[in-house]
Amino acid sequence: MIKSEQTIFQRRVDRANRRARFLITIGGYSIIVSIVGILLFLIYQSLPLSFKTSMKDLLIVELPLRVNKTQLIGIDQYQEISYFLDDKGEAAYYSIINRDFLTRDSIQLEDGEKIISPAKGSLNKEVFAVGTDHGRIITSEIRMNPRYQDNRRFIEPSLKILDTFTVALPPETEVNHIEKIAFCQNEDGNLFWSWLDHTGNLHLKIYNSEDDISFDYLLTEYLGREKVSTLTFSYDGEKLIIGSQTGELFWFDLSDEEAVYLRQNWKSSQFAITALAFLIGNSSLVIGDQTGLIEVWFPVRDENDQFRFKPIHQFKEMSAAVIQILGSPRDRTFLAIDETGRIQLNYSTSNQTQLEFKKSDYPVVAASFAPKADGIILLDQKQKLGMYQLKNEHPEATLKTLFGKVWYEGYIQPEFVWQSTGGSDEFEAKLSIVPLIFGTLKGTFYAMIFSVPLALLAAIYVSQFSPRWLSRIIKPTVEIMAALPSVVIGFLAGLYFSPLFEKHLMTLVLYTFILPLIFLLSIFLWRLVPEEKRMRVPMGWELLFVIPVLGISSLAVLGLSNPIEVTLFSSNFKQWLFETSGQNYDQRNSIVVGFALGFAVIPIIFTISEDALSNVPNSLSSASLALGASRWQTVRRVVIPAAAGGIFAAVMLGFGRVIGETMIVLMATGNTPILDLSPLNGFRAMSACIAVEIPEAPVGGTLYRVLFLIAFLLFIFTFIINSLSAVIGDRLRKKYARF
Amino acid sequence: MVVNIQQAVSQKTAGFLTDEKIVIETLNLFFYYSSDSPALKDVNIIIPQKKVTAFIGPSGCGKSTLLRCFNRMNDLIPGTYHEGKVLIEGEDINKTGIRLERLRNKVGMVFQKSNPFPMSIWENVAFGPKVNGITDNTDLDEMVKSALIQADLWREVKERLDQSALDLSGGQQQRLCIARALANKPHIILMDEPASALDPISTGKIEETIDELKNQYTIVIVTHNMQQAARVSDYTAFMMTGEIIEFNDTRTLFTNPDKKLTEEYITGRFG
Ligand SMILES: Nc1ncnc2c1ncn2[C@@H]1O[C@H](COP(=O)(O)OP(=O)(O)O)[C@@H](O)[C@H]1O
Ligand SMILES: [Mg+2]
Repeated sequence: MIKSEQTIFQRRVDRANRRARFLITIGGYSIIVSIVGILLFLIYQSLPLSFKTSMKDLLIVELPLRVNKTQLIGIDQYQEISYFLDDKGEAAYYSIINRDFLTRDSIQLEDGEKIISPAKGSLNKEVFAVGTDHGRIITSEIRMNPRYQDNRRFIEPSLKILDTFTVALPPETEVNHIEKIAFCQNEDGNLFWSWLDHTGNLHLKIYNSEDDISFDYLLTEYLGREKVSTLTFSYDGEKLIIGSQTGELFWFDLSDEEAVYLRQNWKSSQFAITALAFLIGNSSLVIGDQTGLIEVWFPVRDENDQFRFKPIHQFKEMSAAVIQILGSPRDRTFLAIDETGRIQLNYSTSNQTQLEFKKSDYPVVAASFAPKADGIILLDQKQKLGMYQLKNEHPEATLKTLFGKVWYEGYIQPEFVWQSTGGSDEFEAKLSIVPLIFGTLKGTFYAMIFSVPLALLAAIYVSQFSPRWLSRIIKPTVEIMAALPSVVIGFLAGLYFSPLFEKHLMTLVLYTFILPLIFLLSIFLWRLVPEEKRMRVPMGWELLFVIPVLGISSLAVLGLSNPIEVTLFSSNFKQWLFETSGQNYDQRNSIVVGFALGFAVIPIIFTISEDALSNVPNSLSSASLALGASRWQTVRRVVIPAAAGGIFAAVMLGFGRVIGETMIVLMATGNTPILDLSPLNGFRAMSACIAVEIPEAPVGGTLYRVLFLIAFLLFIFTFIINSLSAVIGDRLRKKYARF
Repeated sequence: MVVNIQQAVSQKTAGFLTDEKIVIETLNLFFYYSSDSPALKDVNIIIPQKKVTAFIGPSGCGKSTLLRCFNRMNDLIPGTYHEGKVLIEGEDINKTGIRLERLRNKVGMVFQKSNPFPMSIWENVAFGPKVNGITDNTDLDEMVKSALIQADLWREVKERLDQSALDLSGGQQQRLCIARALANKPHIILMDEPASALDPISTGKIEETIDELKNQYTIVIVTHNMQQAARVSDYTAFMMTGEIIEFNDTRTLFTNPDKKLTEEYITGRFG
């Protein structure tokens, strides 16, 4: 009877054991699984950054167009309809969906008149000017407006003439050809034309639509003996660039339409400039020459504070003359097309050639980006139309732009910059992670130099020197510190302490000098007290002596700070600091953050290292003391080495905690992503950057993915640190702590 | 300074020590872990120079406590206090102004459980000299060597002085602890059941070592093991409940004890 009861009981215990073991195992595994899951998710989100640009053929058809007469082509944003403008002014609309021509429009030309020079004038509209062999310049726009009917979308193309004028020729000349033309319609609706006439004269005409007045210039004399080979406007109409047959470039500044002047003239090649185009943002100029050289130049401030075009990027050379450069309407991608029909897709900021291809054996006569830059259309000499889908999602994020120095538009040299978003599409995203890594390390550094000594000394004091009643107060107090939410610490640091800090900067600086001084002095005085008297102070009560010392130093500092600031630093210490060191004092600076972050990690470092120190067996310190070592010698030579593993682990865990800490750095720093070690200014940490920017980042965009990459890096950092702490800590423990 | 026996204040139990010089002497020593009851009650004992003196007695009778009074290791236990005096080489070691480091340098100690530092063998032995201010490495080498030779360990470890002391066997570790104490060139070595955790062979070696050391050092050894006391010591004190019951030369104490309690204890009727 009793026996069976026992077995029943035994069985119940067994079952409970099994259940507990099962639950615990599940718990352990699910932690591992979720960590791996997080890691995989981070990788999944950031991996597309590394995907190569790709192109897919959507459509290749031979079109019944007049042979070799097409001047311009374009396509609507949905890639349903493309237009072909030929030399007779006929605009044919071709439906890509139906693979058939739709209606036509035409530019009315005179008898026998032909279009000989076309130029598009905008990145986001199909607006263009064409020059004819009758000396006329006709400006028109093709609109491809979507119309919705029965829930279906129809693109309705239409052509509208905006402006027509005839170029006057000197008398007795008969031929009046517009040989080359550049055109621009800027956002204000102002029109800019520049053309080369049959006599070799270069003209500029600006039409101000607001005031309805025009300005005419003859620019030939500025060119000296240079012959124009190609010309282009920036899309804002502020710059006109002329390329010459001998490789010279001329920059005309049109920002004042009444006073156009030659701003810069330089030589960029030994050969004829054969293609020019600005990229979005109107700063980067892509230059292609007869030998296939492709370079990007943009204006950079020089020593005299003047903007000068400077060579910034050089791209892979093409095998023949570059005949066309097409800037993408969305980003700093551009197409370069050479004589033989070879095509390069380049990205300016990253200086990277993303694609190189040749789709036809014949030269390209016309090409265009789709308005969303997600496609290209090309027409070759044999009237073959190729339509290609472009997958070029994150060209601005490459290893080089993320981790290297990049020369951005407007900067005087290559730099590490994080500036992810600007006002518009034209903004050149600057996605260097380096300042963020730097910020994280800087914050960590200042936090650690503040917290590690404090926490370790406190741990040593509490575990080795303090009387028991005192440690019983200190330990839980410090542990409570750990429970303080970091938002609260960040809030206090950022909104309360940093202004206070700034206000009493002089006092604090003085404190750092005077406090140790008075401390040393008081220790010296203490030593003068006869040993017998000193011995009578019970252990731990020495602390009481600290109180008057602190009080005296505080009084001294408070009393001195104002007079010192007035006499030595002409009443303004911050100003003096700025003038002598060039360091500006930011209110939310690294010292404040160091304190705040330090405050957050002190409990971790303290608790773990205190445990490690207390766990050193008494037998070791007894042995040391019995050998005549003093208490301090015992601590330094025996206890600390024996606890080294735990202390190391404590510091590393603190390190890991600081690296990942978000709220404090977010609230207590200015979050400026600068590369400056100075403790007087702030930084932007990786974690804070993610927190600040992820709500604003369009899902799936480059910024979004880069933020995930940063998260991944952060994960790896902390992973490495924690593993290091485990491995090295373990090794140290094995070495020193096999008691 | 060694005080001659004739000058000793307390001679109640010390008639048999007439020819010896005194190194340690306690006068009406009471020791309290807490104020309830003393762990040592009115202990008056004289320890002769360069002899082995053993303390025996049942567990908890205060042997270790008494031993620790000689180098003030009891100070480490909070809340303890004593009454009476402990004189070492004539000097009251509890008077103010005594430097503990100097006292413990002079009075070495070997603990019951071997406790080498987690460092190399060399570092272990050199520890004492180092903390007492010797920095010259050749001097230290010399001291390490002679201490290891005295502790009879040199032959076994001379090839691996830089290896961790924790790799030694238990007996070797204990002899290392002896060497470590010897490196300080103490006058007195206190040993608290140094062999209690060791196998018979290691115990034998330790006993041999003690035998060799007694020409140079005053050794006070606490032991649980009466055979050991009989083997290694010149004098033996039998303690019970914090009191010295009987103190005599070892042979007399074991063969012809004065007190009935002593006889009962050594014949194994209790303890
Ligand atoms: N650290 C201590 N705190 C309180 N009481 C102690 C302590 N150490 C020893 N005692 C007590 O003092 C008495 C003597 O102990 P001890 O000297 O260790 O005896 P022995 O070494 O003879 O076995 C015992 O009753 C023991 O309980
Ligand atoms: Mg004992």
